Amino acid sequence: MSDSEAASNGGGVLDAVAARLLDASVLERIGIAVASTTLAILIGLVVAAATGYDPVQFASQLLVGAFGSERAIARTLRSTTLFVLTGVAVAIAFRAGVFNIGVQGQFVVGGFSTVVSIIWLAAFVPSGTVGGIVLMLSGTAAGVVTGGLYGALPGVMKAYGDANEIITTIMLNFIATGFVGWLVAGPFGDPEATATRTRRLPDNVELPQAVFGDPNLSIVGILLMLGVVALVAVITSRTRFGYDMVTSGYQDTAATYSGVDAKRMVISTMTFSGMVAGLTGALFVIMIQGYYTDPSGIGNYGFDAIAVSLLAANNPLGVLPAGLLFGGLESASSHVQINSDVPVQLIDGIVGLVVLFVAAPELFRMIAARTGLGGDAE
Amino acid sequence: MNVTDSLTVARLRLVGITIGVLAVLGAVLSGIFDVDLSRLITRGFVTRSLEMATPITLAAIGGLYAEKSGVFNIGLEGFMIFGAFTTAGTMFALGGTSPTQGDVWVAILVAIVVSTLLTAVFAVLLIRYKADQIVAGLAVWFVGLGFAPFVAALVWGSRSSPGLTSIDKLAFGQSPLVFLTIVVVGVAWVFLFRTRYGYWVQAAGENPEALDTAGVDVNRVRYATVIFSGAMAGFGGAVLLAHAGNFVGTGSTMVDGRGWIAIVAYLFGNYNPVGAAAAALLFGALDMLNVQFQTVGIEISARLVNLLPYVAVLVVLTAYGKTRIPAVVGEPYETEE
Repeated sequence: MSDSEAASNGGGVLDAVAARLLDASVLERIGIAVASTTLAILIGLVVAAATGYDPVQFASQLLVGAFGSERAIARTLRSTTLFVLTGVAVAIAFRAGVFNIGVQGQFVVGGFSTVVSIIWLAAFVPSGTVGGIVLMLSGTAAGVVTGGLYGALPGVMKAYGDANEIITTIMLNFIATGFVGWLVAGPFGDPEATATRTRRLPDNVELPQAVFGDPNLSIVGILLMLGVVALVAVITSRTRFGYDMVTSGYQDTAATYSGVDAKRMVISTMTFSGMVAGLTGALFVIMIQGYYTDPSGIGNYGFDAIAVSLLAANNPLGVLPAGLLFGGLESASSHVQINSDVPVQLIDGIVGLVVLFVAAPELFRMIAARTGLGGDAE
Repeated sequence: MNVTDSLTVARLRLVGITIGVLAVLGAVLSGIFDVDLSRLITRGFVTRSLEMATPITLAAIGGLYAEKSGVFNIGLEGFMIFGAFTTAGTMFALGGTSPTQGDVWVAILVAIVVSTLLTAVFAVLLIRYKADQIVAGLAVWFVGLGFAPFVAALVWGSRSSPGLTSIDKLAFGQSPLVFLTIVVVGVAWVFLFRTRYGYWVQAAGENPEALDTAGVDVNRVRYATVIFSGAMAGFGGAVLLAHAGNFVGTGSTMVDGRGWIAIVAYLFGNYNPVGAAAAALLFGALDMLNVQFQTVGIEISARLVNLLPYVAVLVVLTAYGKTRIPAVVGEPYETEE
C-alpha cells in the first residue's frame, strides 16, 4: 500500500469520528458531560461505601473541601486556573484533531525554564517592583517559548516522520519529568536547600493577591486565565487560522482541498497548544511555587487537563466550568487527605471514570432511550 | 509495490535501525567512556534484559491482536497496572508478606482473570457502545492510576506494597516466565498467520465486510481480540510484579510507561509477534543499561539512563513511523441486516 493510501485511510477514520462528534448538539454534549460526571461520582460513592466508609460523609467532605470556606474557595480557584489553562492547551490540539497528550511535559519544561531564566536574569535587573515586573514578563516569555518548542517537536515528528503523536507526547512527558528532575537535583539544585529544588525566585517576583487572603492566588492569575480563554475562543471561532485548524481536525480532506497545508497545520497547532501549556507552567511557578521541585511531585495538571477538555467537548468556553469541577475536586482532595480516612486516590479514580464515560456518549443515548428520559441526553 | 515487497523492505528497515541504534550506542560507549564492551554485555545483563522485555512482549502481543482486528487498545498501560496490582494483592491475601511460590502462580492466574473481566467491560464500551477508542483507552490508564493506588492504600495503608516475593529462577538463572513468554510468542505467531482464526482476526481489521459476507460475526472476533489484549496486558503486569517482588503505586506506578512502549514495540515489529518480541527486547535492554553502566563505572545519573527507552521510542517512531496499519482501525463495524 502506498503512503497516500495510508493517509487517506487515516483521514477516513478521523472524518468518520468527526462526523459523529458533530452530530451531537450542544445541549446533548452538556447532558453527556453532566451525566458522565454524576455517574462517575456515584460510582466513587459506591466504592467508598463498599470499602467501609460513610458515602454521605465523603460526599459532604467533597463539597466542604471545595467550597465550604473562604480558604477552600481560594484553593479551588487556584487549582481551577491551572486546570482551565492546561485544559485550553489540550482543547486547542484536540479541536484540530491532534491528540496532544504532552501538555504535562510542556507545562513542566515551561515552568522550569521560567524559574531558570528569572534566576539568571535577576542579577542584571534592579530589585523593586519594576524589576519584578520585567523578570515576570521575561520569565513568562521564556516559559511560553520553551513550552511551544517542546510542543512543536512531536508536531514535526508527526508531520515529517508520521510518528503517532499520542505515543511521542507520552514519551516526551516521561522525558520532561526525568530530565527536569535530574536538572533540579543536580546542575540547577539549590546547594543550601535540604529538599530537592532550585533556588527561590527573588522576592520582587510576586503577583498581587486576589480578594481572598491566599498568598498563592492572584487576581492576575484569574484574569490571565479568563483572557487566555477569551483569546483562544476568538482565535478558534473568528480567525482564518482557527477556521483552518478546526476544519483540518474535523474534515481534513475538505481542508486539504481548500489549500491548507496539513503538515504545517499540525506543527502550528502543537506549537500553539504547547505555548499555552508553557504559559501555565510560568504562572504555576510565579503565582504558586516560587521555585522548581522534582516534577514527579508537582501534580498531574497536564493529564487531568485531558479530562477537562473532553468534558468541555474541546470547547474553550466549556473548559471554564469543566476546570472549575476539577479545581473543586483537587481542592476537595487536599481537604479529604487531612480530614478523612478515605485514601485520596479515590478522587483520581473518579476522574478516570469521568473520562471513560465521556468517551462513550452512545451509552447515555441508549440509557436515555431505554428509560424514556430523553430530556437531557437526547 | 505489493504487500510482500513492502514487508521485506519493512523488515530490512527494522533490522537496519536496530543495528544502527546498537552501533551508535557501542561507538559512544567505547569512544567517549573508553569502556570494554565485553564487560558491558554480560550474562547478567542478558538475563535482566530478557526479564524486562517479557512484560512488554506480552502486552504488545495482546495489543497487536486487537489492532489487527481493527480495534486500537490504547489502554494497555492501564490494564498492566491492574495486572500488577492484582498480583500483589492476591499474593498478600494468600501468604501475607511471605507468600509461597505456589501463591505467586495463583496470583498471576487471578490477575489474568481479573484483567479479562475488566477488559470485557471495556470491550462492551468500545464495540457495543462505540466509545472513542483513544479517549476510552486513556481513561483506562487514568482509572488504573487512581484505583490501583487507592486499593493499595486501603490494604497496606500506603500506595506501595511491602516486600512480597518474586518468582524463583529456573534454568540458566532465568525466570520461568521468560520461557513461557517465548512459547507464547511462537504460539501467537502460528495462530495469527497459520490458522483460520488468525485469518479472521486479520480480515476483521482489513476487510470486515468480506468477513461478514463469509458468515463470520466481525464484532465477535473483535470482542475476542480486545478481551485477549487486556488479558495479555494484565498478564504482562503480573509478570512485571512477579519479577520485581513488590508493588509500587507512586507516581506513574511501577508500570511506568511500559504499556505505551508495548504499543511502540508491536508497531516497530510490524504487527508480527516475533518482531514485537525483538523490539521489546531492545527496549528491555536499554532499560537495564543503567545497571551495566554502574558496574563498569560509567558515571551517568541513573535517572538519565532510565530515559533511554523513551528516547529510543521517539527515534524508532520517527524513523519508522509509516507502519502498515490495518485498514479500518478505529471504525466501529455495523452489521448490515
